[in-house]
Amino acid sequence: MKIVADRDRCEGHGLCADTAPEVYELDDDAIVVLRHEVVPPELERKAEAGARVCPVAALRVEQLSVEA
Amino acid sequence: MSLRQVVVVGGSIAALTAVEMLRMEEFDGRITVLSDEEVPPYTRVPLSKGVLAGTESIDDIVLAPLSDDVDLRLRTPATALDIEAQVVHTPAGPVRYDGLVIATGARARRLGGPDQVERVLRSHDDCVRLRDDLAAASSVIIVGGGFLGMEVASTARALGKDVTVVDLAPPLDRLLGTVVGGRVRSVATQAGVRIVVTDGGVRLLGAPTPTGVELVDGTHLEADLVVSAVGDVPNVEWLAGSGVQLHGGVVVDHHCRVAPNVVAAGDVTVMSQGNGDLTRSPHWTNAVDQARAAIRALLHGDEAAPYRPSQYCWTEQFGLDVKLVGDLDPQGEPTVLDGSLEQGSALLAWPDATAPRTVIALNHHTPPAKLKRLLRPTAQARA
Ligand SMILES: Cc1cc2nc3c(=O)[nH]c(=O)nc-3n(C[C@H](O)[C@H](O)[C@H](O)COP(=O)(O)OP(=O)(O)OC[C@H]3O[C@@H](n4cnc5c(N)ncnc54)[C@H](O)[C@@H]3O)c2cc1C
Ligand code: SF4
Repeated sequence: MKIVADRDRCEGHGLCADTAPEVYELDDDAIVVLRHEVVPPELERKAEAGARVCPVAALRVEQLSVEA
Repeated sequence: MSLRQVVVVGGSIAALTAVEMLRMEEFDGRITVLSDEEVPPYTRVPLSKGVLAGTESIDDIVLAPLSDDVDLRLRTPATALDIEAQVVHTPAGPVRYDGLVIATGARARRLGGPDQVERVLRSHDDCVRLRDDLAAASSVIIVGGGFLGMEVASTARALGKDVTVVDLAPPLDRLLGTVVGGRVRSVATQAGVRIVVTDGGVRLLGAPTPTGVELVDGTHLEADLVVSAVGDVPNVEWLAGSGVQLHGGVVVDHHCRVAPNVVAAGDVTVMSQGNGDLTRSPHWTNAVDQARAAIRALLHGDEAAPYRPSQYCWTEQFGLDVKLVGDLDPQGEPTVLDGSLEQGSALLAWPDATAPRTVIALNHHTPPAKLKRLLRPTAQARA
């Protein structure tokens, strides 16, 4: 699984990072940064939960194809 | 007895977070979501901004879809609740539950009479209609100067419309306090928005589509388009006669519980403070916090950690980004922790810097988590 963050949409509300600090953090400008290029399997559920609470829908969840 | 069949009524962020939390808590029974909407869950936050301006569409605002094992039933309103029989009634038939989450949110409050087709902004449908009307209008009156009304004003002004905001009190003061409220208003006024404060209710003029308002002193204001942004009304009609306690919303305790095996979260709720006071917090983060607490209580009962509000809200308008943690409507002059109001970027604390009860970041890039940490000294002092 991969998370695609639209940093232009992000308004720095930090709900993603509150929900899943292992997956999301905010940089010095309070804009979201992903901690993993590909989300480790054990963090997938948390990553999704973090993506779903974003009030401006700046985070997309992408399922990678099998070989990835 | 552990739960096997949880029904969530509602199709927005409180409902979605409840489902998410059930999964995080490893609930492995059935989850059914009943939503009266045509479209899957989306965020309302951009409806007063990009979607209204026409630069974003529904595709930009849908929330990450639920997993396939969740039975999401769109266009399926709950019409009644039978707590005794543990059944939610819908036009498509009864749905049994052994755990129920009430997350039916709220709808826009209206001012007009039955013959008036009033413009409001709550749902995606409302937004599409308003977007098209706005595109065709050259002037607009917005009744109500809360976050929503002022955000609509900002978007309309950016589209070049002639904008008037009418309210009973100076817009935003009740939310942001007079200092920041005044600052945002002066930026709005400089941007060309006319603000009219009237000391009595307004009447919408014109039917079916209102094209003006009458103030208490008899003054008439006219525009191509009138938008009501006068608050919201919890969607509780389907709970009438069910025994669920209703008092300007579904009354919940500090665990977001309503009745045995019934919890509620989000804009539909009012929270009992124990001393007879009821508080309501119709904001995004509150819906998320409550939904999580509600599911913990549903699964773990008294042992569950109670709801703890993050007390965070924000608004974006007229190029200003305002983030607030703590109590709304901070009184008096703030302590400036960083920047300055005059320079347009500031971090402000009330009543002082040592034990702030409210912190506001105005065009100041401080992550909300950091703002919340600034509040902490109070929590410790109170404990
Ligand atoms: C334009 C706009 C901008 C906003 N901006 C902000 C912001 O910047 N920051 C902020 O904190 N908050 C903002 N809010 C408020 C925020 O959107 C709400 O607090 C949040 O949506 C509450 O979520 P909820 O799930 O409790 O209720 P709602 O979003 O109201 O969702 C309730 C859901 O239940 C459904 N429903 C209702 N009745 C039934 C029924 N009988 N059966 C089945 N389904 C039913 C509804 O169709 C809806 O899907 C904004 C709101 C609007 C309208
Ligand atoms: S929740 Fe959304 S807006 Fe907030 S920091 Fe994360 S990506 Fe940005």
